[in-house]
Amino acid sequence: MDNIYKPELVEIKEIIDETPDIKTFRLQFKNPELQNSFKFKAGQFAEYSVFGEGECTFCIASSPTRPEYLECSFKLAGKTTSAMTKLNVGDTMGLRGPYGNSFPLEQMKGKNIVFIAGGIGLAPVRCIIWNVLDLRDQFKDITIICGARTVADLVYKNEIEDWKSMSGIKTVVSVDPGGETTDWKGEIGFVPTIVEKVSPSANNTIAILCGPPLMIRYTFPILEKFGFKEENIITTLENRMKCGLGKCGRCNIGSVYVCKDGPIFSYKELKTLPQEY
Amino acid sequence: MEELIISIDNLKEIARELFNNDCRVIGTTAENKFKVIDDPEQLILNPNSVPTGSSFKEFFFPKTEPLFFYKQNNSSIDLIDPVIDKSRIVVIGAKPCDAAALPIISKVFNWDYKDDLFNTRNDNSLIIGMSCHYNDEFCFCNDVGGSPENRKGSDVFLKPLADNYFKAASVTPKGEAFIKEYQKYFEKDLGKNKPLVRKEENPNHFDYDKVKTWLDNNFENKFWDTAGEMCLGCAQCAFVCPTCHCFDIVDEQNGSCAGRRAKNWDACQFSLFTKHASGHNPRDNQEKRYRQRISHKFKYYNDKFDEILCTGCGRCSRGCPVSLDILQIVEEINSLSQKSNAI
Repeated sequence: MDNIYKPELVEIKEIIDETPDIKTFRLQFKNPELQNSFKFKAGQFAEYSVFGEGECTFCIASSPTRPEYLECSFKLAGKTTSAMTKLNVGDTMGLRGPYGNSFPLEQMKGKNIVFIAGGIGLAPVRCIIWNVLDLRDQFKDITIICGARTVADLVYKNEIEDWKSMSGIKTVVSVDPGGETTDWKGEIGFVPTIVEKVSPSANNTIAILCGPPLMIRYTFPILEKFGFKEENIITTLENRMKCGLGKCGRCNIGSVYVCKDGPIFSYKELKTLPQEY
Repeated sequence: MEELIISIDNLKEIARELFNNDCRVIGTTAENKFKVIDDPEQLILNPNSVPTGSSFKEFFFPKTEPLFFYKQNNSSIDLIDPVIDKSRIVVIGAKPCDAAALPIISKVFNWDYKDDLFNTRNDNSLIIGMSCHYNDEFCFCNDVGGSPENRKGSDVFLKPLADNYFKAASVTPKGEAFIKEYQKYFEKDLGKNKPLVRKEENPNHFDYDKVKTWLDNNFENKFWDTAGEMCLGCAQCAFVCPTCHCFDIVDEQNGSCAGRRAKNWDACQFSLFTKHASGHNPRDNQEKRYRQRISHKFKYYNDKFDEILCTGCGRCSRGCPVSLDILQIVEEINSLSQKSNAI
């Protein structure tokens, strides 16, 4: 039987405490052949599971250009993520995937890219950021705008420092008003406000954004104001999913199944969908 | 092709042979409920009976079934595939509104990723359909592309004749092989047994194309504010429905180091169905969830799979604890579509 619901086994190789409630797991397939043959594209997601607790859906947060491992970042929220926070290096998990469509990497080549992320929304964006940076000469100017509620809630802090130190990349980091510490040197403001302040040029540029629904909703009109065409604004949706295979029936937005037709949508595509996400 | 008939007694003989050959024979008995028939004498084929309380989908898509079992030994974990019952399933006397549901839900279980749990049972099945002489205020098969004589989903189709005989015809190659396999039980139709005729034709209630067009354009409409306001969110409608196929995936631990991951029936009318871990819920009230139910059946599934996700059996309405009637709702949409045309 070809069992589409049965995961492969992966081992936790490293655990990174990103924030008080967000961790990143670095995973490797128990079967080394699978580790070599597993292919995915930036933006795709997987179903991660703790046996006895359940399965949950996260994007693959590492870049396909770094195939020696897979990473996922997750926030403590429900039953499975609670169980995940109790796991240790060396423990075994289940993984099914990769599922869904991916960021339009080919369409992005030769263009300026603006990455915009809020909170844990940086996870899928980080995947495509490293994908782009690992192929740096195929892209033009790169701008990264990311924010979190507070300084403590910023994820991938070391990598943000790496991006800041790389030439040809403009990296702007912000925290929400009140979320700053006395020694905070970054911006203070909500992500859409910071986008407005940075005012990225729409000329030959693609914007990739992910974050809380409100952040996305308020960032779209700002990008449009700067002249971004709706097809050049790309986001990723995360509806509740169980199967990830287009069967279980809960992730649809109208006739679209986020797990199969998404999770990556352009703003142009989103505008054709009912407001139910 | 030669026209064939078969008596109820011979159908029971076929059921007996199938049973003796380890087939799962599914049929209805005096309590008008689909069940695995272990005593063929209990089998009743009554074209005048109301559709059973539940459809027979549970024999293809069970209420709960293991996706795999897991066993933890020290640091390693073994995942064990479930054993799927590969025995032949023969449904005897399916109403057209039940038989038609299998090819409809087969599409969602087979686009791109193939669900072998459903497929194994479906591939090993044979459906003997029978024309329906029942009609009540909840029936509307002919409004959704079906009819009391519709052969969709049937491999063999029976039409009731006088004196407990049925006219039998194969619909698919599988049905043809079945009739050949059991040919000794079939007789040549000499025209002695007159066909039983339905008392009256089923009325038409709505124009599906108009309903679809209205749904295409009215995701936001005040109609939805009241359409589902009676709904309790109990989901009996989904559980008795032959085409509802939503499911949950849940781990069930058995002891400290073993258990199973199961696929369990679920329903879009439950408030937690789409709730994100963050607390955000795209369908955060019953009105939105009811809009989803109607739209999935009459629009989304058709957009995606070119099938209406409803066979008009009326079970959801017959069993609804608050008498929410899907036919009335769709009729209202039909009349709204006419009004919007008039403007």
